[in-house]
Amino acid sequence: MKKITSLSITIIFSIGILLFINGCAATEKVTAKSGAQIWGENCLRCHNAPDPVDYSDAQWETVGMHMKQRVNNLTEAEINKVVEFLQSAN
Amino acid sequence: MKSLFRFFMLAFLLMPAMTLVSSAQDSTQTEVNKKNLSAASGKTKMLLTGAGWFGFAYDKDAKLNFNSYGFAPVFLWKISDKLFFESEIEAPQGEFELEFAKLNYAVNNYISIGAGRMLTPFGAYGEKWEPAFIERFPNNPIIPDEDFLPGGTHLNWGAIMGLDVRGRVPLGNSRLSYVLFVSNGPSLDNSNGLIDYENLDDNNANKQVGGRIGLLPFSNSCLEVGFSYEQGIAGNSEDSVYQINSEWKDYSKVGASAMAVDLNFVKSIPKIKSIISVKGQFGSYMVDDAYYSVPEGFTANNYAPGDSTLYTFNNTLQNYYAQFSFRPALLKNKCLKNVELLFRYNSLTEPKDAAWSEKDNNGAGGVVTRLDIGLCYWLNWRTGLRFAYEGTTHVNGEQSNELLARFVMGF
Ligand code: HEC
Repeated sequence: MKKITSLSITIIFSIGILLFINGCAATEKVTAKSGAQIWGENCLRCHNAPDPVDYSDAQWETVGMHMKQRVNNLTEAEINKVVEFLQSAN
Repeated sequence: MKSLFRFFMLAFLLMPAMTLVSSAQDSTQTEVNKKNLSAASGKTKMLLTGAGWFGFAYDKDAKLNFNSYGFAPVFLWKISDKLFFESEIEAPQGEFELEFAKLNYAVNNYISIGAGRMLTPFGAYGEKWEPAFIERFPNNPIIPDEDFLPGGTHLNWGAIMGLDVRGRVPLGNSRLSYVLFVSNGPSLDNSNGLIDYENLDDNNANKQVGGRIGLLPFSNSCLEVGFSYEQGIAGNSEDSVYQINSEWKDYSKVGASAMAVDLNFVKSIPKIKSIISVKGQFGSYMVDDAYYSVPEGFTANNYAPGDSTLYTFNNTLQNYYAQFSFRPALLKNKCLKNVELLFRYNSLTEPKDAAWSEKDNNGAGGVVTRLDIGLCYWLNWRTGLRFAYEGTTHVNGEQSNELLARFVMGF
């Protein structure tokens, strides 16, 4: 039980931090990133960076929704930028 | 236990409120992007993707064995800008199984809710790195699964039935992501103390709660560290009872909890014209103390007081692996740039006093370790040939070596 209590405290603490930082907006450095840059930095972290020519424009939209869930750290605006980049390069 | 559950419920309710605060920031940008997207050609938003593979193993005794093949189609539907459905049918050794079928609803830019059968959002391996086209080795890291444990136990991966809330929080130059989930929870095999997390029908009234928090401290997202925790009652509600010191006990309160830490560092380094990656995951799986029947021929260390037909053990299992890979992807040479070299060290510590854990020649439990050295030749971003040497050292010091190969085609 002791273990559980300390873990709950850790989780509560983490969520507390989360609440606190929720107010912090992304910096200009992050929001100014282009779709190509986000793709180059983020889309190779689990698998290799995907090739734009593999999918049609409509399919990239679907992939965007899928990866938004899996990656789980890109905002909708960022995912849209990546999708637009992939659509422009396919 | 109850308070933890209440806390998670509260957290679930709070998340949408928290994220609403920050969602206003880039909604204008989103509107612009949406307009652009709606101008895209084609209307079909269904996508069939996935992977197929074929592989073989070679060792001194069995010689060459064409032992691995599989097909895992993934079906994705974008139903609207907010609704999305994903499912996978996996046939790892020819037997079809619905791996996941999950509906996601995007509440706003920062948060979404999912329901159905989903890959367990615990640790990173199961949800993010396991698909055959992503796993760069022809084998998986050592995980506490059927290769090492009796009877098809699904301890730390597979799918759960339940609900999740996931979201992301901008954090200055850093990023934070979270997933919280409620599921049917683990089930306990009361004959041996093994836990199965792939529980499609709930075996008791208690739900499992858990979650993962991922932190990407650097603006270029090169590093992610994740912390996961899950907890629930594993015992069946109508479980059999036993007597200890003339007191009746049953398994209905036996709880199981687990925690994991995962790490992912990926960076392309132009100076050495390469992409390097370091990945790893540590997991610890704990089950509350209980007594189990002593199997025939097994000498236990801790018998029940006055009853040598029952025994107990510290039911904690730990595993970890760490992997390093190096790919000179920025070289001009067409052949070399597609080669990736891989090293992975795996370790599994089963409960040393359990009847079912690996033992040394004196009957004591210990650690199984495995070293994998691999080479991958990529034909495109998700298709490639993988080769590996796999050297396992068992608890009794015995070594087994295998050469493995696998061709994976992502489509
Ligand atoms: C956190 C790990 C991770 C990151 C980062 C990631 N992906 Fe994925 N990606 C996956 C997984 C896991 C799958 C396979 C999903 C499955 O089969 O269940 C996948 C599959 C895909 C596929 C195959 C089609 C599909 O949707 O299944 C494409 C295309 C893709 N990712 C594109 C991207 C893009 C673009 C990015 C960058 C925005 C990205 N990925 C970043 C984990 C990741």
